[in-house]
Amino acid sequence: MLSQRRFDNLPWGMVFLVFTISLIGIAAVYSATYTSRGPSSLFTKQLVWVSIGLIVMFLALIPDYHTVGRYAYVLYALSLVLLFLVMVMGKTGMGAQRWLAIGPFAFQPSELAKLSLTLALARYFAEDPKQGNYELKDLAVPAVMVLIPLMLVLKQPDLGTAIMLFLTSSIIVMLAGIRLRSVVIVFLIGATIASLVFLVSPVRHKIWGSLKPYQQNRIKAFIDPGSDPLGSGYHANQSKISVGSGQITGRGYRKGTQSQMAFLPERHTDFIFAVIAEETGLVGSSVLLFLYLILLLIGVDTAKNAKDRLGVLMAGGIVSMLSLYVFINIGMSVGIVPVVGVPLPLVSYGGTSIIATFLSLGILLNIQSRRFMLFY
Amino acid sequence: MDQQQESISGILRRLPLLAAFIILLAVLLFIRLWYLQAIKGEYYHEQAENNRIRPVKLRPPRGIIYDRSGRPLVENELVFDVSLIPEDTQNLDATIEKLSAIVKIAPDSIRKTLDDANDVRTTYDPVKIQEEAPWDEVARVEAHLDDLPGAIIEPEHRRHYPYAGLAAHQLGYIGKVTQSQHKKDQTDLGILTGQGGLEKVYDKLLRGVAGKRMIQVNAAGRKVKDLGIEEPRPGTDIYLTIDLDAQKAAEEGLGSRAGAVVAMDPDTGEILALASHPAYDPNIFPRGISPKDWVQLMNDPKHPMYNRAIQSVYPPGSTFKIIVALAGLDSGVIKLDDTVYCKGFLTSGRHSYRCWKKGGHGPISFHRALVESCDVYFYTMGDRIGWDRVAEYARKLGYGSLTGILLPDEKPGLIPTTAWKKKRTGETWYPGDTYINSIGQGFVLVSPIQACQMISVVANGGHFHPPLLLKQTRNRETGEVRMFSPEHTRSITLDSRALEEVRNALVGVVNEPGGTAHGAATPLAMVAGKTGTAQVIAQKVAGRKLSEETNDHAWFVAYAPVDHPKIAVAVLVEHGGHGGSAAAPVAKKVIEEYLKNVEPKTVR
Repeated sequence: MLSQRRFDNLPWGMVFLVFTISLIGIAAVYSATYTSRGPSSLFTKQLVWVSIGLIVMFLALIPDYHTVGRYAYVLYALSLVLLFLVMVMGKTGMGAQRWLAIGPFAFQPSELAKLSLTLALARYFAEDPKQGNYELKDLAVPAVMVLIPLMLVLKQPDLGTAIMLFLTSSIIVMLAGIRLRSVVIVFLIGATIASLVFLVSPVRHKIWGSLKPYQQNRIKAFIDPGSDPLGSGYHANQSKISVGSGQITGRGYRKGTQSQMAFLPERHTDFIFAVIAEETGLVGSSVLLFLYLILLLIGVDTAKNAKDRLGVLMAGGIVSMLSLYVFINIGMSVGIVPVVGVPLPLVSYGGTSIIATFLSLGILLNIQSRRFMLFY
Repeated sequence: MDQQQESISGILRRLPLLAAFIILLAVLLFIRLWYLQAIKGEYYHEQAENNRIRPVKLRPPRGIIYDRSGRPLVENELVFDVSLIPEDTQNLDATIEKLSAIVKIAPDSIRKTLDDANDVRTTYDPVKIQEEAPWDEVARVEAHLDDLPGAIIEPEHRRHYPYAGLAAHQLGYIGKVTQSQHKKDQTDLGILTGQGGLEKVYDKLLRGVAGKRMIQVNAAGRKVKDLGIEEPRPGTDIYLTIDLDAQKAAEEGLGSRAGAVVAMDPDTGEILALASHPAYDPNIFPRGISPKDWVQLMNDPKHPMYNRAIQSVYPPGSTFKIIVALAGLDSGVIKLDDTVYCKGFLTSGRHSYRCWKKGGHGPISFHRALVESCDVYFYTMGDRIGWDRVAEYARKLGYGSLTGILLPDEKPGLIPTTAWKKKRTGETWYPGDTYINSIGQGFVLVSPIQACQMISVVANGGHFHPPLLLKQTRNRETGEVRMFSPEHTRSITLDSRALEEVRNALVGVVNEPGGTAHGAATPLAMVAGKTGTAQVIAQKVAGRKLSEETNDHAWFVAYAPVDHPKIAVAVLVEHGGHGGSAAAPVAKKVIEEYLKNVEPKTVR
């Protein structure tokens, strides 16, 4: 299993951070889902998920991460199959088809897809003979690798995860090394398409029409939150009120009126940060933000110390992915990012997301623990 | 190794950028948190304190169900419920005590109602304490609202079925949303949804879309300000194909007897009347039926919830002779002039098969045999045609398969074949089986709606229109009307001479001397039809007094007017006795009531 040497090499600070953030999450879910009849079963489930997650994280230390890399494409293919299954036979919730029922559990393959895509891209760029200085024409294969899960996820439709897949992949490509000229070209093409979409009304209507009403409303509400404070702007508004009303020291654990009186929607999942901010104030919210920051920077350090290209890209990709989730989720809660519905890693309620996050962290730890090992 | 290091050095150079990016975002978020919590904290704190904005659900009125000419079959009555929002009172017990005195419900049972509701409601959802409160209670609660923090009066639309049991099996009923429905599609637990019949089939249309009003309330939960309203979208009205007059005639015709009536427009498949007796009163459901009443209803030996028109199958009796007649003429086995000598019975081996007419009909040919319903003639012809060929024609005319009516649990009945019997019982098909099945006894089973469709196809010359219940819908907001045009699924080809001869004989059944259904004749139009008397027990024992349960089922299938049929009817009266005397007069009433309203000039 683990050699003494690797055990010593384990970044125990990182393990401690992960553990602390998960505990904060459990406490927040407890508070957010507390009912007049006592703790909700969601809290117990969250406990179970985090425990399983911790086990998964340590199990991820056993194989050499090169083995993980070797199976990256298999994992990627598996997640595509699962995404496809969701489309065919998935469970529907909130106007989208995102879950696969496995016995009593609802499994969300898009959560697995984000990790497997990251790993698959890391392996691709690690093995690619070109090793950097990519131009657009070199990126056809990775583009297809990104587009397939992206389309499947959009079809559900899960705009939030689709955006995350796109942004994560973009950062990985930049890490792998893309020529500045290509970045500029992509940017210009993107800007052109965006302005076309905005300026040419038939195109705009077509794209706009393909969005679900709730997605349209969320975008409208982000552009002008005042337009419909009782309808779709409600989420964003209530979340801002929750965060702000926490002031410096917070309203006290389980004493947040926004969270406890059900003004705040999706409070145990997408808006869990608002619950923490309301109940623990600026003190609590900035401590949590700081914990995430340290965790992510340790992740960057892991990438820096990795002994080969695969390790660097895997670690870098995972850190990029986690950072995006953390920042977009918190950004959403404080009203500077549209409400796209992405979970806060380790804290938001949700089984698949938690397991996937712990698995990602386990791979990071794995890379970190082998940083001093030489080739044999 | 060197090469390795070289290849990652590029990435390593970019990693600090990633770290910088992460730090930048964290700082940005921290500034935002600082702004929201430290600088604007007081403002948001106040907002949270005054966050007494509350959504109030506005429930839409359910769509009205009309008959084909726009007469309402259900109504929405405005009623007032006394409800309680426990979150809006500091002293729940005081409110409960005071409220209890007004609505005359014990405080403990109010507490229990609240407790039960807690499992499913969300915060600030009102809990109904007294539904359809009498006027004086509403007035007293209204007058004492200030002393009753948390109590409110909720206006609601309550479903009312003005004709009680009329068309109950078609209309269905509405009831509380079940837990499983709520889980499945988040159906609002506070509304009543269709739980049976067309109320269920067209529930999505009838239900409408709930709206909401956002209100600002004070500490006692009383509205201070209206902040916005999202109007509910009323349910869509639906117009059925049934004709209220024909339906009433069917219901009255059956009266207290168990049975079913189905009437249909042969040109379109539109159901003009569909009745099943005994019926139930759908008005008992919307208020919530007590478990005791429910058990009683389900265990009622007469099965009032059962839609006999589509869910019950019976031996068709002599109405089945229409099939044998068509099979014989179309296949050329029966010649019009062939006579059979009926001496009152037919012997085969050691068994003897009787004709209903004890003395026998003497020599008899096709036309008179069908008019007088001679059993011996049809024993003989069934045998000559061969049973499997008869069965083939029966299937062609829709027997043995579902008509596809949009009501739940339709039964297909049974058209046996020789192979079926072998497989089912292991015995071969005897000539005796052919005899008794040829007169609609034995294994053959059909439902009243199948019988109606069969006679309709005979009337219209071979065209199948699936039974249609919905004529049009009308959106109450936009006034937009959607018509539902009849479908045409298939046509069967039958020799036109054969059809003509059968129809002539059916006219004779009602209008010629010796015909079995004079009771169906009406001055309004020429009626054609066929009686049937389905034996419940194999042979009656002479002299023994029979109880009602062993009385024969009475059948009558008919259409009118003969030249341009506008209505086809099937009547079944359980244990009604003879088809001519028990069932034919019911059909006559239905036909009269329908035809008197149809413009005489609109002959298609």
